[in-house]
Amino acid sequence: MALRTDVTALARRTHARKPHKVEEAVTALGVVAPPPIQVESPHFTGSLGTLFTCVKERKVNLLDVPLLPICEAYFLYLLEATLKDLDNAGAPLAALSYLLERKAWSLLPVAEPVPELELPTELIAPTNHEYETAITSLNIWQDERERMFFRPPDCGPDPYELPFEIGNVTINDLARAFEKLLTKATVEEIKPLNKARRSISEQMKIVLKALTKDFKPLDQLITLPFSREEAVYWFLSLLELIRLGQVNVRLKEEDVEFARAA
Amino acid sequence: MDIVDTLEALLFVTDSPVTLAQMAVPLELTEGQVEQALEILHERLDARGSLQLVQIAGGYQLCTKPHFADAIAAFLKPQRQKLSRSLMEVLAIVAYKQPITQAEVDQIRGVQSDYGVRSLLERRLIQEAGRKQTAGRPFLYTTTQQFLHQFNLNDLSMLPPLSTGLPLLQVEEGGLAS
Repeated sequence: MALRTDVTALARRTHARKPHKVEEAVTALGVVAPPPIQVESPHFTGSLGTLFTCVKERKVNLLDVPLLPICEAYFLYLLEATLKDLDNAGAPLAALSYLLERKAWSLLPVAEPVPELELPTELIAPTNHEYETAITSLNIWQDERERMFFRPPDCGPDPYELPFEIGNVTINDLARAFEKLLTKATVEEIKPLNKARRSISEQMKIVLKALTKDFKPLDQLITLPFSREEAVYWFLSLLELIRLGQVNVRLKEEDVEFARAA
Repeated sequence: MDIVDTLEALLFVTDSPVTLAQMAVPLELTEGQVEQALEILHERLDARGSLQLVQIAGGYQLCTKPHFADAIAAFLKPQRQKLSRSLMEVLAIVAYKQPITQAEVDQIRGVQSDYGVRSLLERRLIQEAGRKQTAGRPFLYTTTQQFLHQFNLNDLSMLPPLSTGLPLLQVEEGGLAS
């Protein structure tokens, strides 16, 4: 540190120590560095730059930090330093003036808060008399309407949606079966996005041909080797066939098995 | 095929009000014939059963009779929230003065209505219906079909006439008349 100035806020006035050597206040990056003044007071200890930041972020109450010794230290720093341009002297001065302004504001007397009334003031209701009848009518109609029940929109299942039975097989079981299948899939080469897309309905026909009346796990239905894309198509087709009631599914020793519905 | 029974079946499967025209087309009837049949259905339902035929939100719909409301409410446990006084005030102003801007609602009420307008929009009781061609091009608001349905109204003409406000004192010769 080029210059160290001790500032104490107590009875003993703090004096700046004479600098052994004054360094340039401009860093290698060209940024004006804060003056190398070290502030030591009961409520704050640190550099002037840190004090500036803490005050700005309201982490330090400036009323607890005396500014006179800091100003003295700063002027001593200016006198003893051999600063080459005004930027080096001006930037710390701006920081110091900010601190002085903040302290000056905080020393101003604060207005007494207005005592709250014990009883809240009765405000005039924003009522428009011409709408009174309408509001009353709307309230009555709302009450009447609440005693009438209509068929709610989209309440029931789609009439064309057939209920399907999957027994004790849960969604998680199906997801596990899919994950298991994916681990056996081979990594396929990357294809362009605009390639012709396969249809699930075509895949469903393939899946139906592969299925028998005997229950089989998913990895036994698909012929090896198969890609991840094929695995996805198989699984989506199976889900759709379950929904349509064309595939039965069961759980056997934590393994999901599929069969063609009768 | 009995027309009245058919209409009852059509109304049974719908979840929103059906207009005369919507019913007339599939049955190959005129709207007048449908209306006559609906009158018969109305009387028939009134006389027996738990359902009634109502004219609501510009159409016809079946609903339960108020007599069964308590039992149905206990069964369905509907989450209903009544509109507050301020919301009702904004709604009434929009209903009568539509299309109306929020600033105009504020002016009538004497207080800001942004919360009320936003809340009614969320409840789909009012809707944005274009912009007023004035400075700032503010949104114009109108009531919705949901408003008619929620307040058991067939159309806006069922709203009562606005009251004239505070009773006026008549000044007669020799003083004020009560």
